[in-house]
Amino acid sequence: MSGIIEVENLTFGYTLQSEVLENISFEVAPGTFLAIAGPNGAGKSTLLNLLCGTLKPGAGSIAIDSAPLQSYSIETLAERIAVVRQGFLPMFGFSVIETVMMARTRQFAATGFETKTDRKIVEEALQMTDTAHFAARPLGSLSTGERQRVFIARALAQDTPILLLDEPTSFLDLKHQVGIYDLLKTAQIDRGKTIVTVTHEINLAAQYCDQAMLLGADRSCLFGPAKEVLRCEQIQNVFGVNVATATAGKQQFFIALGKLAKNRPPLRDSTPNSQ
Amino acid sequence: MTEPLTPNKLAVRIAAALVLLLLVMFACSLIGAKSISLRTAFAGEAAVNPDYEIFIRVRVPRIILAVIVGAALACSGGVFQALLRNPLADPYILGISSGAGLGAMIAVVGGLNWTLFGRSPIAVFAFLGALGTVWLVWTIGRLTGKFHLTGLLLAGVVVNAFFSAVIMFLTSVAKADQVHATIFWLMGNMTEEDFIVLWIAAGCVGAGIVALFYLSPQLNALSFGEDDARSMGVNTARTRLAAFAIAALMTAVAVSLSGLIGFVGLIVPHGVRLVFGPDHRQLLPLSAIAGAIFLVAADTLARIVVAPAQLPVGVVTAIIGGPFFLLLLIRYSRRVGWFK
Repeated sequence: MSGIIEVENLTFGYTLQSEVLENISFEVAPGTFLAIAGPNGAGKSTLLNLLCGTLKPGAGSIAIDSAPLQSYSIETLAERIAVVRQGFLPMFGFSVIETVMMARTRQFAATGFETKTDRKIVEEALQMTDTAHFAARPLGSLSTGERQRVFIARALAQDTPILLLDEPTSFLDLKHQVGIYDLLKTAQIDRGKTIVTVTHEINLAAQYCDQAMLLGADRSCLFGPAKEVLRCEQIQNVFGVNVATATAGKQQFFIALGKLAKNRPPLRDSTPNSQ
Repeated sequence: MTEPLTPNKLAVRIAAALVLLLLVMFACSLIGAKSISLRTAFAGEAAVNPDYEIFIRVRVPRIILAVIVGAALACSGGVFQALLRNPLADPYILGISSGAGLGAMIAVVGGLNWTLFGRSPIAVFAFLGALGTVWLVWTIGRLTGKFHLTGLLLAGVVVNAFFSAVIMFLTSVAKADQVHATIFWLMGNMTEEDFIVLWIAAGCVGAGIVALFYLSPQLNALSFGEDDARSMGVNTARTRLAAFAIAALMTAVAVSLSGLIGFVGLIVPHGVRLVFGPDHRQLLPLSAIAGAIFLVAADTLARIVVAPAQLPVGVVTAIIGGPFFLLLLIRYSRRVGWFK
């Protein structure tokens, strides 16, 4: 196998609850951009937490760089994987640059102070995410979009081959959404990073990602090239909602249709959930 | 602070704070119920020189004690606030105060009268009670599941309330003179200590502050939550256990020396954080020094305000500390953007 992330027969359930993920297998090649989508409660975030070692699999295995996940220590895993979670704001007001510098904690903890190398890496991460001009501001004074870029900068400053993100565009407006995806695409292309993101933005995933995974609430799992996974019928099935589709240029887009939507187009017969 | 901390900047600030501490210590050693002159103090034979006796045997040890206790409480208060991610946290939040109080009460009611390294049974029992309670709360907190801050805090609050009730019970059945001794202890009280006790305590607290400094990059990362810190490569379980143990030990040392002096451990780290920012590499050493300055000054006031009688220093820290802290809060919190 050649994947940088290899998952085999992964099964996981929280206690007192039936399995959330059942028998999932997939492989991510280095330098791939993978989007994981699916309805609430389908286990997207759970899968992400399993991949970064926060949760332990009930059964099955995860390998990072061909070594089993459990063979990594907290410190060595942090050299392979950086994680961007949904913006947790600390109680005390750290500035942007202090926040990003924390990605280097592992390297400078022994002496207590960052080296020139650490500072250079942080500087690059700030430049790349376009956050350098407000580096001195406290985190609490930033807008949601700015703050999300700071957390991505911190993940980049960790200098890992793999980047995991949990809904990086939630609460962001259209411009900031594409801004984040452009940034991730740049990291993928310029730095060769392997990126796995959980998202509800199917259309952004379709535009930017190479691979896609649709996790269903019924523990189904579709995985493959984005074009093959993100299809009208499959999205309808997994989300249990009627979906209209349209193309702009070569790109196919998907729009969910509610019962009372204005100017609702007629639905095709193949829809499994049509009323 | 907005710019990242550099070793030089930190060294300069610590040095400046230390100079200020020495100045305050020197000034406070000259102030007291009886005015003394340094020239006479060091002029004659020690045995017949009252100025020398007051200076060396009374004021200097007491000022050193205030430095040790103030530094220990302020530094460990900063650590508890970081670990519990709670601005209301102070060194006593996990039951140390009531545990120490119960220990002291048991020693008084039990009528014990031996000494250990020159310490009275009150101090020894308070020390053991403090550490035993932290251990108990920590264990209960762990039983509430995968390390749960809320579980730990609630365990601390409940154990505190329970032990306070036991203290009140013992107070109601104890003799009046015993009660007076304990109440005075509970209010926080400085007395003159032997130099040997001071050096041991200073060694413990100094080593604790240095050790905590080397944990502070990890404490910074922990401010962003357990999961984030771990993804950044911080061994959160080990960091938390070490920081907790050191802070609890420092607090127990302070409590066994001087009783329950409130407020220092809550407001000094907040004050330093408001002025200098939340970076623990700077926050912890500066809090320690600021706590020492604050307590030396407060204890000097406690000595002179109603001289020749003395106030419990805990009363002074709360009465001066409260308004001073509120001023800082109003002045700086907007700039820091805390409450967004």
